[in-house]
Amino acid sequence: MEVKCFHCGLDVPKGSQFEALVMGQQKTFCCPGCLAVAESIVENGLEDYYHYRSEFADKASEDSQDILEKLSIFDDDLILSEFVGKNNNAHEIQLTISGINCAACGWLIEKQLAKLKGIMQIAVNVSARRATVSWDSNLLQLSTILKHIENIGYHGKPFQPEQHEASYKQENQAFLKKLGLAGLMTMQVMMLNIGVFFDLFGHIDAQTKQYFNWVSLLLSTPVLMYSASGFYAGAIRALKARTVNMDVPVSIALSLTYLSSVLATLQNNGQTYFESLCMFVFLLLISRYLEHGARYKASQLSANMLEYMPTMANLVENKQLRPVLAKSLKLEQLVFVKAGDLVPIDGVIIEGKGQLNEAMLTGEFELVSKTKGESVYAGTVNQLGTLTIQVTSVLKHSVLNQINQLQNQALANKPKIAGLADRFSQYFVAAVLVISAITYLVWSQIDAEEALWHMIAVLIATCPCALGLATPSALSCAVAHLNSKGVLLKRADALEQISTVDWIGFDKTGTLTEGKFSLAKWVNISDKTEDFCFQIAACLEQYSEHPIARAFDGIKRPYPVENVSSVIGKGLKGTINNIEYKLGSDSYMKHSIPLSMEACNVFLESDTELLCGFTLTDRIRSSTAGIVEGFNSKKVTLISGDGEATVSSVAKTLNIPNWLSKHSPEEKLAVIKHAQSHGHTVLMVGDGINDAPVLAQADVSVTLGVSSDLAKSSADIVLLDNSLDKINLVFNIARRCKNKIKQNIGWAIGYNILVLPLAVSGVLTPWMAVIGMSLSSLIVVINSIRLLK
Amino acid sequence: MSIIYVLIPIAILLVCIAVLVFFWAVKSNQFDDLERHGSSILFDDDLPKHKQNPPPSNLDNHE
Repeated sequence: MEVKCFHCGLDVPKGSQFEALVMGQQKTFCCPGCLAVAESIVENGLEDYYHYRSEFADKASEDSQDILEKLSIFDDDLILSEFVGKNNNAHEIQLTISGINCAACGWLIEKQLAKLKGIMQIAVNVSARRATVSWDSNLLQLSTILKHIENIGYHGKPFQPEQHEASYKQENQAFLKKLGLAGLMTMQVMMLNIGVFFDLFGHIDAQTKQYFNWVSLLLSTPVLMYSASGFYAGAIRALKARTVNMDVPVSIALSLTYLSSVLATLQNNGQTYFESLCMFVFLLLISRYLEHGARYKASQLSANMLEYMPTMANLVENKQLRPVLAKSLKLEQLVFVKAGDLVPIDGVIIEGKGQLNEAMLTGEFELVSKTKGESVYAGTVNQLGTLTIQVTSVLKHSVLNQINQLQNQALANKPKIAGLADRFSQYFVAAVLVISAITYLVWSQIDAEEALWHMIAVLIATCPCALGLATPSALSCAVAHLNSKGVLLKRADALEQISTVDWIGFDKTGTLTEGKFSLAKWVNISDKTEDFCFQIAACLEQYSEHPIARAFDGIKRPYPVENVSSVIGKGLKGTINNIEYKLGSDSYMKHSIPLSMEACNVFLESDTELLCGFTLTDRIRSSTAGIVEGFNSKKVTLISGDGEATVSSVAKTLNIPNWLSKHSPEEKLAVIKHAQSHGHTVLMVGDGINDAPVLAQADVSVTLGVSSDLAKSSADIVLLDNSLDKINLVFNIARRCKNKIKQNIGWAIGYNILVLPLAVSGVLTPWMAVIGMSLSSLIVVINSIRLLK
Repeated sequence: MSIIYVLIPIAILLVCIAVLVFFWAVKSNQFDDLERHGSSILFDDDLPKHKQNPPPSNLDNHE
């Protein structure tokens, strides 16, 4: 019988004993993290959360103590001033909150924070995964608020909203107002004109009909003037740029139909089309609103990922350490970097030695040993040893920032590719304009008085309403589908481009591989059990900061260790049950290494014998296996900054035919540009800071949820659950979406061509045209909705 | 039929009020979070603390 964790719903590992009393019943939990969160929720009297929730919570992190310590930097006034709005003692901040899965989460967070003394207001927005908090700075500190959020299993962080977000929000509200107005007015005008349609059967006298016309005119004027204003603006912009877009025929049709209807009302002679006008504006606005809403939400969610975690540095002043913001550091200043810390700035080591993880910059996975006189770079991590560095360039000129600039340049130069409907609309618009002009000319020879009315009939019948809905409805449904599968699209139009992709580039470290050491193989030559060797190794490694040590994290540590000491770059030793064990590289071992352990890179020995050898490698992500097979005819290339041997072995394992090693960010960029100049549409998958420029340059770029902020900000598509096989899903949906768009456009055009002769010959009555147009639009929308499945 | 000459203006007036109310609602951010507020009425704030409700069976995860 599988037991699931009451908090997060994951399987409970066998033999674990995490239980607590929740809602009067003994519940089982999978880890101390989940247990602590549940206990904290119960303690605060908020256990009703478990009643209300409709989804399981995220698994709680176990190293929360570490996170809590880091949060205290948010109390620094310097940092606070960057993103906190102040009004006397009242501070206000927007936080992004990860871990929100359902509406009950919003309730839980609000209740939890409302208990704090000093909180003035708290509002959680579940769909945007954000909270707005205002508090009294005399009574409460920001880190306390963040800690309380952390205690119940969510992660709250200040973040940097995207530049366009404020304007997106305004546009979204404007769209809603326009849509609401158009909807209400359409209902009224429709209601009146249903009556007028029945006039065909002679029930309404001419005077009442004229009265209805005036009322319709009054009601539809705000729709035309306000709701439809965006279309006129778009048309004028397009005409000024000497092109035509969908807004041009829409605007012409709207204004001509409106004028003709006003004329008919004034002269009390001829047909009015107010109901079709309102309906037309309403339907078009729905499609634009859907499209805009999808983009707004994507921008909110992607901004949430750019958590604001300011880089702090330990400045050495008169032999004292003082924490300062990294960007305030000046040339020649001395900075102290502890083991496990991020190097805050570019500099030269003047004291100490350390092992640095430079994978973010170079893609090289192994640690690099550096000592006095060598340069270190901002953004890398000092895994072992302590360093004192002298600043050689301020943060603005650091290598990290140069990569950032490379990315911005590439983004700015990215060519805009017109969507299918945009290209199509140019021909469509031209055709509509020509046909209506011909209709006018022909009819002016036959019946000059009727010519204008027939021309307008053509414009109405060919109203590109369904055509206007074709692309946005399909795109928003596809984006919604992908979102529900854990794929975030930052640009909906990337979907249109992805179906033309024929060249795919992969980064290695952290993308195809997990970017951390894990246990691949082991050779046990002792008479002890394997479990015993693992447990001894795990007991020793818990004292190590080296990334290799993390590979042993999941193993039980039943023995106490005494006299632990370590040698940088070699290994560590300690006494367990009065026997001294050593764990480390071959040069650290006292005993000689037999041939059977050739492939191993970490060894375990006691004072008397060599026990076991471990092979620790950067494991290939399980979701990567077989991914290349799905790409059939596309050209796949592995581009990495790592050394030749590792890159080629990964390429071989995954069946990737082409691979390039030791490529700097600039060289990677050149490879992509070269492919593009040979007519390829490039899709790039990467995760590190060193990938950011290529991601920006590629036609479509994909990154993972665990990627660096820089990579996430330049990618079009983020795979939130880090499973690369979702790329195939994206290809699949993109293909279906493109088919849907084609079907929709085909239907819209087909319908228009069908009714065109009827309209030209004057057979089509207005109510038929309106119902036909609505049905046609409805068919397009329903067709698109099928993409959600 | 002359009653419609009175009723329709009244209807127009009501529609205008509806439009104004809708605009006010949009302006005061009531449409910002469409996921949460639909269910917030179900979250009873006045439940006495530590009341031992038997949990609904679908939340019981001991399978």
